[in-house]
Amino acid sequence: MAGNQTPKQSGSSGSNEGWAAVGYLISGIAVWGFIGWLVDQWLGSDGIATAIGCVLGAAGGIYLVVKRLGA
Amino acid sequence: MSGLILAEVPFPPTVRDIFPPNIGDVGPWLSKFTLLILLAVTIVLVYFLVSYRNPQVVPTKKQWLAESIYGFVREGVAKDVIGHQGLRFAPYLASLFTFILVANVFAIVPGIQISPMSHIAFPAVLALCTYGLYLYQGFKKHGFLGYLKHATYLPAPWYMQPLLLPIEALQAFILQPATLALRLFANMFAGHMLLLVFTLGGFALLNAESIFIKPISVLSWGMTILLTFFELLVAALQAYVFTLLTANYLAGTLAEEH
Repeated sequence: MAGNQTPKQSGSSGSNEGWAAVGYLISGIAVWGFIGWLVDQWLGSDGIATAIGCVLGAAGGIYLVVKRLGA
Repeated sequence: MSGLILAEVPFPPTVRDIFPPNIGDVGPWLSKFTLLILLAVTIVLVYFLVSYRNPQVVPTKKQWLAESIYGFVREGVAKDVIGHQGLRFAPYLASLFTFILVANVFAIVPGIQISPMSHIAFPAVLALCTYGLYLYQGFKKHGFLGYLKHATYLPAPWYMQPLLLPIEALQAFILQPATLALRLFANMFAGHMLLLVFTLGGFALLNAESIFIKPISVLSWGMTILLTFFELLVAALQAYVFTLLTANYLAGTLAEEH
């Protein structure tokens, strides 16, 4: 959503996209890390699901940045 | 001398010092911050009413300033970011901009020296207004489910969707409004803290034991003066950024299907 602005954008759009990219990366890790942590609590495992979640989330975040903000 | 100076400033300042006591016995409804908010609203209202009371074709100085502020938001933000249909949001954006600007500048007005925006409650309410506005516009334009899809769906292979949808939903419905409020709050709060650190730091250095450390307090107060000008820049910039991001979110909401 942050990426699909109207094509005519002036001035500050660069920093704006930068923030959107950072937001995607962080929120990707946060969401899936949290889900992983919930799974950890549920299964009683020792943080392995959190780790997997963080990596997955980072991958998702990067994918979103490329899709939304890349050419 | 130095003992007197030390007695006048609460040192070290505590968290309680950012929450001045309420005025009167109406609870939290009347305090320094609510008074400042009322003052900011009054300044903006009165200024625009007075300068537009009898508009001239050749504008007076006051009218020219008011027109150029409104024109700046209308052309520079509403029209540029949202496009032609953004003009109907120009009054909202302009009120947002002028109100935040006046409230922010309070941070460096002598005698006031704190911006209401350095309390999270006030930026949070403004961000909620923006949030409500763009959700409403989205639901009106795309329909309820249509807007949820518009905000979160992205053309991608089906197996990527479960991975991406939670991220997009978090971004669109929680992080956007939250960071909008936090950005303004954190900037004003940090500015206030910086000024406080250098002012009180000057007193602390002046009260130091060694005679060689005392003169450094002048440097510290010099930094206070510099940072006061820097605060003016931050105040104007943050008012602009808040307005610009509001326009940006509205543009994202009103955009056609991608």
